[in-house]
Amino acid sequence: MDIVYYLVQNTLPVAVALLLVALGGMFSERSGVINIALEGIMLCGAFAGCLFVHFIEKNSLPAQLIFVLGMLVAAVAGLIFSLLLSWAAIHMKADQTIVGTALNMLVPATVLLFSKMFFMSDGVTTNTRFYIREVKGLGDIPVIGKLFFQNTYLSLYIGVVILIIATIVFYKTRFGLRLRACGEHPQAADSVGVNVYTMRYAGVSISGVLGGLGGFFYAVGVMDGNVNGHTGVAGFGFLALAVLIFGQWKPIQILFASLFFAFLRTLAYSTTLIPFLKALNLNQDYYKMLPYVATMVVLAFTSKRSRAPKAEGIPYDKGTR
Amino acid sequence: MDKTWIKKITKSKSFSAFTSALLAIFLGLIIGFIVMLFARPERAVAALQKILFYGFTDLGNVFYFATPIMMTGLSVGFAFKMGLFNIGASGQYTLGMLFALYAGFTFDLPLGIHWIVCVLFGMLGGMLWGIFPGLFKAYFNVNEVITSIMFNYIGTYLVDMLVKGSAKMYVPTTTRTAYLPQSAQLPALGIKNSSANIAIFIAIALAIILFIILNKTTFGYELRATGFNKHASQYAGMNGKKNIVITMMISGALAGLGGAFAILAPSTIAGSSQTYEPINVIAANGFNGIAVALLGNSSPIGIIFSSIFISHIQRGGTQTSILGFKPEIIDVVVAIIIYFSAFSLVIKMAAGRLITKMRHSKGKEEVDQALSEETYMPDKPGDNTDDIEEKEV
Amino acid sequence: MDNYIIEMLNITKVFPGIVANDNITLKLRKGEIHALLGENGAGKSTLMSVLFGLYQAEEGEIHKNGKKVEINNPNDANDLGIGMVHQHFKLVDVFTVLENIILGVEPNKMGFIQKKEARKKIMDLSEQYGLKVNPDALIENISVGMQQRVEILKMLYRENEILIFDEPTAVLTPQEIDELIEIMRGFAAEGKSILFITHKLNEIMAVADRCTVLRKGKYVGTVDIKDTTKEELSRMMVGREVNFKVDKSEAKIKEKVLSVKNLSVASEHHKNLAVNNISFDVNAGEIVCIAGIDGNGQTELVSALTGLSKMESGQIILCDTDITKANIRKRSKAGISHVPEDRHKHGLVLDYSLEDNMVLQRYWEPKFQKKGFIKKREVRKYANQLIEKYDVRSGQGPTTIARSMSGGNQQKAILGREIDKEHKLLVAVQPTRGLDVGAIEYIHSQLVASRDSGKAVLLVSLELDEVMNVSDRILVIYEGEIVGELDPKKIDVQELGLYMSGAKRDKSKGE
Repeated sequence: MDIVYYLVQNTLPVAVALLLVALGGMFSERSGVINIALEGIMLCGAFAGCLFVHFIEKNSLPAQLIFVLGMLVAAVAGLIFSLLLSWAAIHMKADQTIVGTALNMLVPATVLLFSKMFFMSDGVTTNTRFYIREVKGLGDIPVIGKLFFQNTYLSLYIGVVILIIATIVFYKTRFGLRLRACGEHPQAADSVGVNVYTMRYAGVSISGVLGGLGGFFYAVGVMDGNVNGHTGVAGFGFLALAVLIFGQWKPIQILFASLFFAFLRTLAYSTTLIPFLKALNLNQDYYKMLPYVATMVVLAFTSKRSRAPKAEGIPYDKGTR
Repeated sequence: MDKTWIKKITKSKSFSAFTSALLAIFLGLIIGFIVMLFARPERAVAALQKILFYGFTDLGNVFYFATPIMMTGLSVGFAFKMGLFNIGASGQYTLGMLFALYAGFTFDLPLGIHWIVCVLFGMLGGMLWGIFPGLFKAYFNVNEVITSIMFNYIGTYLVDMLVKGSAKMYVPTTTRTAYLPQSAQLPALGIKNSSANIAIFIAIALAIILFIILNKTTFGYELRATGFNKHASQYAGMNGKKNIVITMMISGALAGLGGAFAILAPSTIAGSSQTYEPINVIAANGFNGIAVALLGNSSPIGIIFSSIFISHIQRGGTQTSILGFKPEIIDVVVAIIIYFSAFSLVIKMAAGRLITKMRHSKGKEEVDQALSEETYMPDKPGDNTDDIEEKEV
Repeated sequence: MDNYIIEMLNITKVFPGIVANDNITLKLRKGEIHALLGENGAGKSTLMSVLFGLYQAEEGEIHKNGKKVEINNPNDANDLGIGMVHQHFKLVDVFTVLENIILGVEPNKMGFIQKKEARKKIMDLSEQYGLKVNPDALIENISVGMQQRVEILKMLYRENEILIFDEPTAVLTPQEIDELIEIMRGFAAEGKSILFITHKLNEIMAVADRCTVLRKGKYVGTVDIKDTTKEELSRMMVGREVNFKVDKSEAKIKEKVLSVKNLSVASEHHKNLAVNNISFDVNAGEIVCIAGIDGNGQTELVSALTGLSKMESGQIILCDTDITKANIRKRSKAGISHVPEDRHKHGLVLDYSLEDNMVLQRYWEPKFQKKGFIKKREVRKYANQLIEKYDVRSGQGPTTIARSMSGGNQQKAILGREIDKEHKLLVAVQPTRGLDVGAIEYIHSQLVASRDSGKAVLLVSLELDEVMNVSDRILVIYEGEIVGELDPKKIDVQELGLYMSGAKRDKSKGE
């Protein structure tokens, strides 16, 4: 049973990071803009957030307050960075995949450049531990308390709230309806007076915010506050894309997809704790490949019947009908 | 009168491909300069001079470092022609390196033959890794962008694991691979203080061969037709799936050669060779290949020049550390160049559109149709979103 | 004086290199049905797009009720009560009927959509005008006729009083067209004003009060329907006398070329079969036409015949050879030529030169390649031959980029390529779609010539006039089944329509 608790407690912070980034991707792609830059956005948020924490943690503020502040900085950084994508994709009608690739290259290079110049290192490391040993009151609930309210991070609860809000916004509001229309049939949206450009900017910007948050949560909850330009976020942004496809661009399915991938990753990094896997005595590196291999297997089986937003990746030109 | 008019436009079209590449480079350098100005204002000008001019004093190394990115550039550019975005050149490059290393350390072959075998092995390794995105796209309908990204990670972890697991290749004390035997190293060109070697000529020859394949053969005809309009190529009875797999194999092989050329090169210290450090970092040269391909307009001949250019500013970039900067400044510049190159596709498309509009004298509605075709079904690299799902466009 | 609700005065709209609307004036009376007539490319859609705010005119003014107005986008148009049913419906496939109707004008509280409110209003409108819809159905699951109702409801929901219909009958059966005409009359009687874009003279004579005619972007005139004739309208539209009859002799039917047996094809859009157990033959020396409303399985049938998509079951025999399992290339070699439905999607590589496109089906033949290397000189020679023979006009001859050619010449190039290729069966799918009268006449004559030279021709058409005039035998397809085999000389359009709408079927054909 302890292993189960351990696995769940370690899976959730990973899952939250994936979930938020994939939800961000959902808003972007369902508004019609392919967001392959999620990887870069994550790293941007992670670095900005941790840099902020690095400077502020000398003041003796409560850890969770620093966490929230760092989170906000990460979100803003992600948002600003995502404008580079939306401007290129929407106004300049650039190739979205190539722009995304460029942005993914830009972030680690910039992080390395500045870290090497000013910190003499490859990145930034924070010292504050944001770990929550037990949530008062709730942690004592049998089973559930142990699963969800012990050895966890604030990010978990923030993630749940964001998921709920995102789902409601997506399906119940005027904004959600219009956003989805722009990703499917922008001409239709335009013909009834919806501003396709605005909706797409909104979609990409939301992905910037959520991607930045996800990056910060990853840096803090998975990497113990260490961000560097070499490993970056280790392909988590790309995994989030796979989660998005696996989750069929729908919020609740994305939740399950991210739990699945997060579980695989946790498993890969806890092989020594699980007797069965330990007995196999495989090289640790095999397990590192596991999430990526699993992605390919999953995509091979699901992609034939998956339905991407129809207008995804296609620049909208007001001049044509 | 009509004819000269058209000539002007066509001229301006190819002209725009070139100017937009220049524009991207210019913007990349300007923004890089601003970044440096921001970091160390007093030394930024000197650093920019280094970036722009140092390479001329170190041509041997410019050519040496141009070789691998020429190969990854050819790899990416070749796939572009088919409408495929091979973002996985890094993984293929790394596999090529592994295979070349393996052949270098394992086989005992005479001088003059050994390195050729190593190069061929590297090609094989890249080819092997290129097949996967091709197969996944052709038979499972998975977008090659996602597949090749995933295979970058899988490949990097796999290679690092295998390298570290091999006592022959890996020296734990230096955390790097050992020096290759002399017979496995590429013949040097003998330019002082440089690793310049025969591979640059092989790479240029390959670029010319690719140019001929693309423009003169039925395979090239099919490939470009598929890249422009895969529906029409299907209608014409071309075997799209087979062509996707073959293209990705060739693309992978080119990237694998890049890896082999990089690792098999002699170093400046006599008798030693290049080494590889397995630290789970995805090879940057794959991504540099994207910049090279975009700047070269995916044309093999253009890529020869663009790779030398990128190598040139990279050499200059390393020298900026004397002034307190870091070589990563060039990675920033390269990323910005790619960013703006994505716009240049649009500039070119706009030029094409202009021709359409001007050439039409029959009816506006037809123009509209042609235009919306162009906007909504752009047959350009990277736009294969519909392969995640067969969309009815 | 006349009571004009909308006046478009001296509208000029220029696109780079072409004047789409040249000083056009159109005046719409309140409560009238006003037809806008012109050939493909005459500038009708452009003019309406200007009125709807999709384009801005360079010159000219728009007045509503005598007052000048600015229409810069569809929102402005909507505020002025102008609504439009576009030729290609502007509906989001994966949304419900209700969501599509309210999109852009969603009833909401604090941004939250109030679906109940919307539903009530839609049901009321649906009742009032007899436009039955299921508000919860997804657009992708309903018929084209139903989708048009949704488009009309969109305008009614917005309480528009000036309704623009862009080629609304193209996708309907004759019976559905009658229904639509009734609906339009009802709107007019209620005081709504209707602009109705078309190139079909019969419909204008049936429904319109007045008609404005455009030709090549220029204003030709406005006439009262009760004072005019079909012949006069067609002369105004084309600028010369038009012979609606296709000149052709009796068909000389020879041996059987194509035999399709029990063919079924799965649909990509729904779970039912798109083509359900179809059998028919086509003989040398005849033009057989597959007639039907768009979306009744024609596309799937042709895809299965030519090998573009797989079939579920059945057998295809071409001149005694079973080609059921053959791929596209083999079928092409066996003697199928194919003029595809969508010339931009399938027919041409738009970024290739004309000469490269001319060998699209044949580049692999020894004539054009040697050991994998293309013989450029041969290709050029052949392209020049075809250009000459089929009168393909382009700026730079064989080296013209296909994208820069006009639609008519693109189609001539495709037709020439397919006819010139060694073949026994010519499959032509909507070969005249979107072309002007001159090009249409040329293509019809080429089809007949092909027939007379002993080829079998299978024509798929949505245009009733084309079906009646060109074919020697008609097969009517309805919901994936052949419901009638008709002789064009013995039936009239009305009866053909009954078959096309599924109201009538031959006893011999299925249940």
